[in-house]
Amino acid sequence: MALEVDRFSRTYPAASGKFTAVDDLSFAVAAGEIVGLIGPNGAGKTTTLRSIAGILKPTAGVVRIDGHDIVADPIEAKRRLAFMPDEPHLFEYLTVAEHLRLVARLYGVGDFDRRAATLLDELELAGKERSLPGELSRGMRQKVVIACGLVREATTLLFDEPLTGLDPIGIRRMRNTIAARATQGAAILLSSHLLHLVEEICSRVIIMDRGRKIADGTFEELATRADLAAAGSNLEQIFFRVTGHGA
Amino acid sequence: MIAASLYIVVCSARNRLLMRLRRLREPRYFVGAIAGAAYLYFSVFARLRSAGGARRRRGAAAVPLALGSLRAGAAGLVGLLLLAVALLAWILPFDSGLLAFSDAEIQFLFPAPVSRRALLVHRMIRSQIGLLFGGVIIGIATPSISAYGRLRTGIAMWLLLSAGKVYFTGVSLARTKLASHEAGARRAAWLPLAALAAAALVVAASLYRAFAAGSPTSLNDLLERVAGATAAGAAGIALWPFAALARPIFAAGAAQYAEGLLASTVVLAAAIAWVLQTDAALEDSAAAAAERRAADAAAQAAPYRASRTSLSLAPFGRAEAIFAWKAATQTLRGVDRLAVLRVAVLVVAMTAAATTVGRGNGLRALAGSFALAMTGFVVLMAPQVLRVDMREDLRHLEVLKTWPVRAPAIVRGELVWPGVILTAAAWTALAIAALLAGPTLFARLRLSWLLSAAAAVAIIAPALIFAQLTIHNAAALIFPAWVPLGQQRPRGLDAMGQRLIMLGATWLLLIVSLIPGAIAAAIVWFALRIFVGPAALVPAAVVCAASVAVEVLLATEALGPAYEALDLTAIERVE
Repeated sequence: MALEVDRFSRTYPAASGKFTAVDDLSFAVAAGEIVGLIGPNGAGKTTTLRSIAGILKPTAGVVRIDGHDIVADPIEAKRRLAFMPDEPHLFEYLTVAEHLRLVARLYGVGDFDRRAATLLDELELAGKERSLPGELSRGMRQKVVIACGLVREATTLLFDEPLTGLDPIGIRRMRNTIAARATQGAAILLSSHLLHLVEEICSRVIIMDRGRKIADGTFEELATRADLAAAGSNLEQIFFRVTGHGA
Repeated sequence: MIAASLYIVVCSARNRLLMRLRRLREPRYFVGAIAGAAYLYFSVFARLRSAGGARRRRGAAAVPLALGSLRAGAAGLVGLLLLAVALLAWILPFDSGLLAFSDAEIQFLFPAPVSRRALLVHRMIRSQIGLLFGGVIIGIATPSISAYGRLRTGIAMWLLLSAGKVYFTGVSLARTKLASHEAGARRAAWLPLAALAAAALVVAASLYRAFAAGSPTSLNDLLERVAGATAAGAAGIALWPFAALARPIFAAGAAQYAEGLLASTVVLAAAIAWVLQTDAALEDSAAAAAERRAADAAAQAAPYRASRTSLSLAPFGRAEAIFAWKAATQTLRGVDRLAVLRVAVLVVAMTAAATTVGRGNGLRALAGSFALAMTGFVVLMAPQVLRVDMREDLRHLEVLKTWPVRAPAIVRGELVWPGVILTAAAWTALAIAALLAGPTLFARLRLSWLLSAAAAVAIIAPALIFAQLTIHNAAALIFPAWVPLGQQRPRGLDAMGQRLIMLGATWLLLIVSLIPGAIAAAIVWFALRIFVGPAALVPAAVVCAASVAVEVLLATEALGPAYEALDLTAIERVE
């Protein structure tokens, strides 16, 4: 498995003691698979993605990227991972091209120039190479973050709300890009509130609520699950049924 | 509307105070508040008390006669200064801030059924807390033998600052009216400017007559002539509103003070009346102020400009170089190169002037002292100020944490650029100091001593700089909540106390880190000085610097786990 999450938990200190954001979560994503991670606000999706990316330390459990533990062997694990967060955090003093060059140096990308040029075209960033983040729209900044994630050969890609701020053309292109990476063999974990997107490009879906996994399977599996059969066959109906928010 | 304004002012002040008090429950703010209060007490109140006691012991007769005579004409002199500022306000784009309505004020008050005058009164009321605070600070800082004296100064300054704020607002409004399409409005706006210009001409003519007879023979003579020319006659009348504002500050007794306060209040009332009758231009002036504020905010939000030339990052190499390149790019894009060039030209010109023509008149020694002080500042204080390291990059921790780089390499990389740039600055200041202060302040030192000492300082300086940067970065990693990130500047007594504690702890750790190196350096010095004399300072400094360098390297390795353990939730976001 490209990505393995085993009995992962994460707690935060809170005024009332401890707040458990994610509790005993386990799942795996195989190479070439696109898995959707969905759930209402506060379900623990972003905490899960950030912990897989090595930004947050798991309170318990193990996260492995290509067999490398993100805590015990972070360098090798991170080398194989690309995380595209929902908020585009860029260095405000580096241009688009410099961000790509920085990432290429960090990850040792050999044929950087060719890959960068292709990506800039693919993400409609051509002509913006010398722009600073402050000169770009939110959607453009999001594309820069995605370009930084895709400029290297990562085996596992994590997307947190990848379509936020993109225009309709950008959304379509992004969908194609994500699907193409999976076809090339990358394991992809995608978190989004856009259920139609998840339904369209994901081969499997994990539904979380209040820090716990409450459903995991392909759409067919979920639709035929005994307790969900009455909900209907589309993801939105299943989502509302499984999270108990009513259809 | 006045009731609503008072409600906003009182609620805002109360909530701010409550927020500050509430955060005292956190130990770091509590400890900071104690340190800040202690600093304030010992540096201001205790010092003033001891100075006041000493003055009482010396007696009033100890006040120099020149100062006593100067005090009599001081109000006129300050009035003259205020007149010049009042004139400049029409030429330069001064902004009192009174028309800079906040976004909330624009959203809530502009659509509300209140008059423009009421909006102006609201802004005047809102500005009072800041002005009062300014008056109190000046009152505390003013040397005085009693709390009563400081209170008097504080009230007088409050009135002066209030009048200034209102006047500048009036100028902003009048300037807008000068561009009005209505001839009547334009004429009304020209009136105060014409009156001010006439007053300035009258005062200038009087001053010309006072100095036409001959040049002043001394500073005292100059001040006396200025005071004499502006105290009476037409010039006295023209200058009266401005001198009246300064009169309570320099009043000798209670009666004179009360009289001055009354005159000052009359001037303030006149300024308020003028502003309120100019209120028609409020919307346009407020819009202009909002535009300026938005432009300033935009400039602050995007302070970097991508230049045509940039530093290139090699595709392969040590990870530390990535961070040095990143920080260098940030610095080069953040600073105004033209301003740096101007400063460099100024420094070179002053150094050249001091070296060539300043030998006899003390300019060389003065410039040398300044360069020495600059060297000390760069080595001991600047590592606290220049924050293009982990203190800046913790804002980007979310990105940094995903990079496949060893933590010690990240910590080392963060130190490289600020260390290099500060070392360059220290060496420049030291070279100037050696050039200027060597032959003047240290004229008794032999050249061999001077050169050896300068070389030793040059060797030790980078060690001290890197050691301090290591301590600051260690603090950022181990106690992230204590360290303001990026451009954050937390305010308040507690925040000031926190900064003082950090500074004290840094210097203490610096001293501790220097002990092994200093011992080794002392051994080298005593062993070699018999053979090579003062030149033994150089190998001693090398040994000391090497010892500190090893400590820095060990510390960066030791800080690796601290970086790994650092959690995103430990980083305090902007307050």
